[in-house]
Amino acid sequence: MSSFDAALDLLRRLDPTKVEKHLSQLIQLDPSLAEDLLSSVDTPLQVKKDPNAAQKEFLTCDYNRDIDSHRSPWSNQYVPPLSAADLEESPFPTAAVRRMEELANDSFDIYRELYYEGGVSSVYMWDLGDDVEDFAGVVLFKKSGQSKSSWDAIHVFEALQGEDSRQWEYRVTTTIILHLDSGREAQLSGNLTRQTQKTETKPVSVAQDTDAYKVWHISNLGSHIEAVESQMRTQLEVVYFDKTRDIYRELRDPSVATASDNRLAHEQVVKGLQGM
Amino acid sequence: MASQFDNIIESIISSTPSGEIQHVYKDLKLIAGQQSEDTILDAIAKFNVSNFIPIDVDGKSVIISPYNKEGSKFFDPESSTMFSVDHLNRKALDIEKCEKFLSDEERRLYVQLENYASKAFPGDLTYAVYSKGGESKEVILTIVSTKYSPGNFWNGHWRSIYHYDLETHDLRGVIEVNIHYFEDGNVSFQCKKEVQESATSDAIVSIKQLDAKLEEEMGASFAQMNDRDFKLLRRRLPVTRSKISWGKGIGTYRLGKDSAENQFK
Repeated sequence: MSSFDAALDLLRRLDPTKVEKHLSQLIQLDPSLAEDLLSSVDTPLQVKKDPNAAQKEFLTCDYNRDIDSHRSPWSNQYVPPLSAADLEESPFPTAAVRRMEELANDSFDIYRELYYEGGVSSVYMWDLGDDVEDFAGVVLFKKSGQSKSSWDAIHVFEALQGEDSRQWEYRVTTTIILHLDSGREAQLSGNLTRQTQKTETKPVSVAQDTDAYKVWHISNLGSHIEAVESQMRTQLEVVYFDKTRDIYRELRDPSVATASDNRLAHEQVVKGLQGM
Repeated sequence: MASQFDNIIESIISSTPSGEIQHVYKDLKLIAGQQSEDTILDAIAKFNVSNFIPIDVDGKSVIISPYNKEGSKFFDPESSTMFSVDHLNRKALDIEKCEKFLSDEERRLYVQLENYASKAFPGDLTYAVYSKGGESKEVILTIVSTKYSPGNFWNGHWRSIYHYDLETHDLRGVIEVNIHYFEDGNVSFQCKKEVQESATSDAIVSIKQLDAKLEEEMGASFAQMNDRDFKLLRRRLPVTRSKISWGKGIGTYRLGKDSAENQFK
């Protein structure tokens, strides 16, 4: 096992409410793990305001970060601004990918409103090389509720063109970080991850380099993410509530004694009847 | 003075679910190197004592704590034995007889505690009565119930520690429940509550009631987190009650909303 695998194993065991702290501690123990860990461990999303877009909120993660700034999906600008020299090196999507990113942000903003009734969403995209149409990205949602409860959904995807150029495969890794705090003595928190994929065939009528082509991709991703989020919402409910209650009953269950007392009493009654 | 390295190791160990300490030990040693072994083992020893971890003493499960520690050794007044501990494997070593006994009063409490605990805790159960020692008239009544099922990716841990004053009959305690589920993720349930009752007429009956009350409150917290907090975060279906129709037409949701809002202007 490598140090990296050991670090990932640790992070799925240690208290999930302290993931950021433990992540930085592990990097202190072995600084060579920094890059791999930061790009593969999901931590709760942070919110920034974009001064170039009427202070509209956007989400930050390692995918839109450069130095200590984050690129806003609304203005395509880094916040806080980077120096001209730094900006020359900063990653920006190509014009075509940026157009798709804009359309995706628009669509997922509507999705967010319909499912989350609040919260913040952001989509970031990048291309996967000069000579391919393939692209990748991340779709993010964050909703904070009462008494410190919060839901962070992170969908990292790749869209890959098949050998048949009309065939597209979407590979999505979804992590949902859910923190529930009763505001009293109990809290339930952590994350679940799921990998999914789907393949779609592009209709002949949809021509490349058009908005319709970009909307076609966004629709495929959108309906897939909608389905995955719904399934995971159910899974989260089962694990957080049903599973936890079942395990608790393995620890403490006063009714077991009552049941066996009853059975004992019943047996005695039966014996008593038989003895008559 | 503890170095920053020691602090990191201790912080990571203290964040470990009790049933997974051996995995964390292996992972940490791999990351921090062989030379870190002593630091990790020291942190695990500290963890075991402060968390009242049960140790296998030649087949009998015995809780170790600050209250039955003498130098580097631990003792079990119930069986009058003394032993050292292999903290990583939670096993007693060098077991020998010693002059430690439960007083008559402590023995009486022990039997009652056993009677209650064995009926209400179906997990791997350990309980103990320890005298606080010195001038104190307090005894420690503690129950640990665990169920470790790493093959099914879960571990559960109940721990209650009560301080009972033999003169005033005041009872105060801390109940902690930790449940860890880690298949395709890392989900942790944590519950910690301080409880107390003054001038009890029967310590064990009060403990039973306080445990039951905590359980009831936990149930209420669950219901609230499920019915309120969880449901408010993300809906099962959109406001429109049907799945989204994606594509060029998705903008109509916004238009629809705008026109609906406009109606009320």
